[in-house]
Amino acid sequence: MSAQSYTAATSVDEALEAMAAGARPIAGGTDLVVGARGGKAPLPDALVAIHRVSELRGIREQDGGLVLGALATHADLVASSTVCELFTALADASAIVGSHATRNAGTIGGNVMNASPAMETGGPLICFDAIATLRSASGTRRVALADLLTGPGRTVAEPGELLTELAIPAPKDGTGSCYARLEYRRQMEIAIVGATAVVTLDGGTVRDARIAITALAPTIHRVAEAEQALNGSDASDAAVQAAADAAAGASRPISDVRGSADYRRAMAAVLTRRAISTAIARARGGRFPIPASPALHGAVNGGAP
Amino acid sequence: MATAEKPFIRQDGKDKVTGLGRYTADLDMTGMLQAKFRYSDHAHARITRIDTSNAKALPGVFAVITHEDVPDVRYGPFVQDRRLFAKHKVRYEGELVAAVAALTDEIAQRAVELIEVDYEPLEIVSDVEAALEPGAPLLHEDWASYGASEDVVREGNDCSRSTILKGDPDKGMAEADIVVKERYVADMSHAVPIEPHAVVAQWQGDRVTIWSSTQVPFIARSGVATTLELPEAHVRIVVPHLGGGFGGKCEFHYEAQVAALARVAQRPVRLVFSRREEFLAPDHRREGQVLELETGVRRDGSIVARRGRLILDNGAYSADAPFFPQLAAMMAAGPYKIENVFVDASLAYTNTTPSGSVRAPTAPQACWALEQHMDSVAGQLGMDPVEFRRRNIVKNGDEGPTRQVFEDIGAAETLERAVELIGYGKELTEDEAIGVAVGWWPSFGIASGAYVKINGDGSATIITGAQECGTGAVMALPLLAAEILGMEPESFSLLYQDTDAGPFDSGASGSQTTFNNGRAVMAAANDVREQLLDLAAEQLEANRDDLELKDGAVSVKGSPTKSVTIPELAEAAHGSTLLLGRGADAVPEMPASDAAGCTGRLGMESFLAPTFITHAVRCKVDRETGVVRVLEVAAVHESGRVLNPIGANGQVEGGVVMGIGMATLEGSLIGEDARQLNPHLLDYKLQTASDSPPIHIGWVDSPTKPGAGGPNGSKGIGEPPCVPTPGAIANAIAQVTGARVHQLPMTPARVWEAMQR
Amino acid sequence: MRYDATLNVNGRAYPVAIEPGRNLLSVLRGEVGLTGAKEGCDDSECGACMVLLDGQPVNSCSYLALQADGREIVTIEGLAGEDGQLHPLQQAFLDQGGVQCGFCTPGMLISAKALLDRNPSPDEDEIRLALSGNLCRCTGYSGIVRAVQAAATQR
Repeated sequence: MSAQSYTAATSVDEALEAMAAGARPIAGGTDLVVGARGGKAPLPDALVAIHRVSELRGIREQDGGLVLGALATHADLVASSTVCELFTALADASAIVGSHATRNAGTIGGNVMNASPAMETGGPLICFDAIATLRSASGTRRVALADLLTGPGRTVAEPGELLTELAIPAPKDGTGSCYARLEYRRQMEIAIVGATAVVTLDGGTVRDARIAITALAPTIHRVAEAEQALNGSDASDAAVQAAADAAAGASRPISDVRGSADYRRAMAAVLTRRAISTAIARARGGRFPIPASPALHGAVNGGAP
Repeated sequence: MATAEKPFIRQDGKDKVTGLGRYTADLDMTGMLQAKFRYSDHAHARITRIDTSNAKALPGVFAVITHEDVPDVRYGPFVQDRRLFAKHKVRYEGELVAAVAALTDEIAQRAVELIEVDYEPLEIVSDVEAALEPGAPLLHEDWASYGASEDVVREGNDCSRSTILKGDPDKGMAEADIVVKERYVADMSHAVPIEPHAVVAQWQGDRVTIWSSTQVPFIARSGVATTLELPEAHVRIVVPHLGGGFGGKCEFHYEAQVAALARVAQRPVRLVFSRREEFLAPDHRREGQVLELETGVRRDGSIVARRGRLILDNGAYSADAPFFPQLAAMMAAGPYKIENVFVDASLAYTNTTPSGSVRAPTAPQACWALEQHMDSVAGQLGMDPVEFRRRNIVKNGDEGPTRQVFEDIGAAETLERAVELIGYGKELTEDEAIGVAVGWWPSFGIASGAYVKINGDGSATIITGAQECGTGAVMALPLLAAEILGMEPESFSLLYQDTDAGPFDSGASGSQTTFNNGRAVMAAANDVREQLLDLAAEQLEANRDDLELKDGAVSVKGSPTKSVTIPELAEAAHGSTLLLGRGADAVPEMPASDAAGCTGRLGMESFLAPTFITHAVRCKVDRETGVVRVLEVAAVHESGRVLNPIGANGQVEGGVVMGIGMATLEGSLIGEDARQLNPHLLDYKLQTASDSPPIHIGWVDSPTKPGAGGPNGSKGIGEPPCVPTPGAIANAIAQVTGARVHQLPMTPARVWEAMQR
Repeated sequence: MRYDATLNVNGRAYPVAIEPGRNLLSVLRGEVGLTGAKEGCDDSECGACMVLLDGQPVNSCSYLALQADGREIVTIEGLAGEDGQLHPLQQAFLDQGGVQCGFCTPGMLISAKALLDRNPSPDEDEIRLALSGNLCRCTGYSGIVRAVQAAATQR
């Protein structure tokens, strides 16, 4: 590891000043330090630690939605009753990141800016229309999460920009959501295939569906064809299946040690169907455990129980 | 046994739960340097040039060594095919070309990168079947000139071939009503102790002390002595706490290279492996296998003939593996009554990391294939798979694959108890099933020694050459001595882990510690017991035959007031003759067999004190994803007599979970360049606590006759628990899905693919 | 360049001067001199290095030492009482066969302590989930789970 200089910021302004001078921010270290140890990328020459910046902490409600401080940890998100009730897919995702230790140290800001195509929280944040606030010494801008992520490890953020918070607007009434992941083990997994569904029902009709797939392309993205298959439908099994098949069709999986492209594509359909079914069940007021993924093991017909 | 009933807390436990115990990587010394290795850049290549000058010139570097800096010695227990450093060729990605000792890890790593090596790449051989094809490139062109045990049958890339022949398999097969032939492939997997390898070496004059995370200190000592051409008396191996081994720390590794670095640097040197290095290192790997199995049965379910062709992956060099083909052949024949058997097993050299004695080498893979095959045959017969096994499993008086006649075994009992414990036949949901598999494993009779001394205050010390790798086998030795001496186990201290202190023992391998060193400790305790009785007879002025030793005192039978305590005797002894017991019990004789038709005989033609095991598992399969969860395991073992239940149960619990890992996720994949694709724990997935199911353990008590087994009729216990688990899981998967998975590990993708066919 | 920091480990302050790239594990094992936390992998997968940082379990191999400046760190060496009295979890690990080779034990005990601190009476599945970041190769986890159950009952 090659870091040469270090400073611990106590305010956003201090952090931005250091970043303007070329420093890279570090919070929990669960991506940066692990990546350096594993030989993925050396630590940046200059580091600014932001773990003491209290204005970046916490989860607060705003206009019926939420604002997540960049330092909110995965454990914080799971512990938030608002996240669990209104943004359930985000709770599903945060609850299955790594181990307890990773969830305690890993932050939502770091998770997003690491821009892994396999990040658990990406799909839910995109589907919930999360907006990232990027601040630099020269100004502030807001970027939709879907626009922020441009490729593996790549974002539109400039070197001097710090992600300070993520704003998620209030969901519409009648919304249920789910993030489901293929899990070889019950814990300590990395997404091999993941799917997010955010479904808003109006009576028996799907008014709005958001479907995103994870680890199936260089970036996490929504699948318009899948959403179209559901929108305006009666949320029947056939409509759900059509949406799931569309998600699989839009996937561009790779073959590697974690699975073949064929297997991943087939699993894209399975996981998407399970995520949608669970989201619909939750939209209808059904209770389904958080996180959903372990409970979906062997789910007959992919539906929620 | 009275002591067997009492829970027993291991002596090293407090050191471990407080974090104060030292493992090899925890050692530090003034002036100590850090070692790094330069590995091969190719899986198969001729070396044309090595230039270490830039590395040597780097400030902070104290030693850079290659094959030129150590004696030109080839070594290996069966076939002497390896060197400390590559000389003319490299044959796998983890082969050492050079080693560096420097002030810090970072400088050492930089120096390693500055070593220039030129290669002429050679064709890679990574497939075991291709390796044995005529005309395949030879890994070792000079194989015929290598030193080797006479009994190893070798030819080109086939490093060791064994056959087992019994009866007339062709005739038997012709007489069968149904013949089933199948092919199975097992990928390589790894031992993965949580502690990566570490070695520290320090010279004092012409003697070297080496602290090493080895399971086999005496084998390491002889390895250092052989390769550095030193007398064994000049080499002392000390083993700090050992963070698990599972066979991955058997054989002799790196002690000599680190010692050589320390000699050149004239400083202590420490090597600590990364997890990646642990995966690439030789002999830490369980070998891949290709198995073709053919079984002929009569309609009544009796097996008339079995044929097998097995090819095992040796990797690029051979350590223990040359005896694997014979062992695997016995595993493929299985613990079943079969009149006609022919198994032909080869060990193929490939450009992959060498295979080693990972916990019950060959057995989990071969048992996985055979026990699936048994279920397939039962399916063809339309017979319940448990009933099929019931009709064929060996019982007392039956003959094994080489006509060894079994005595005092409880194989059938393990089957009955296991199906009872799991509730075989109970109502299950559609996506759950129970799978059953039977396995067996030999005990290994090897010379071993120990001393027992009674201290001046009546406490005692066991000095043994045995090595503790975590199982608790050494920790339990006081139980055996205490019973003989009428003392409490807590009154004994243990001195082990040091080749200068204890007599020879072959180490924490082959489930042999209790089996062999236990007998040695008992012999030493009996020796000192005789001395105590002699002394007591003098002190009590009694006839020696009238004395009894119990509860810490010797007394005259019938007159309990005439008694002298062990502390009193010890005090008296310290005024004259000390109380020192020595023990090295005779190795039990191998059971008789008829191996006339067998070739490549390397000691596995009969099984000494064999243990028998049945595992029954209940699995739930996600039929859409192929993900398998093991919900419950019943593990019933016949291991002779159990001496230390908490230790024995711990072996079963750990072995079963290792078996679940092998069954479902643990496999190393290699790329076209013969490099491992997943040498890290993110993609080589061990089972976590949440994946591990409740395990119901049963023991079938079936002690061996005196002299035919271990202490008090016990058998080896450490390795067998992982043997039948993968096969049992495979059979459960096949029952749920209707599809058999023919490749190990049975990953979700492979289960899914099998269902698509 | 080295930076001054104070690590509060097991109630004792350690002034250290360290490079920015150093992880907490290497400083605990080096400058601080506590080798109880172990290094078992390269990628934060095994949990052998786990310590409590302000009461929360953290893999110290993937945490920068400088970020722990001024914060409370508890390592395995800090579990027993000052008089050497074992923590109930430590005793239970011994009684229940939760220790074999011992290499995962320090991290496992830290995880178990963190669990019982936040949930004094976990059920078996909660225990298994909470310990999933700590790999053990010896015990099959059975003895460890029994130990945590036993320690929880005692509290």
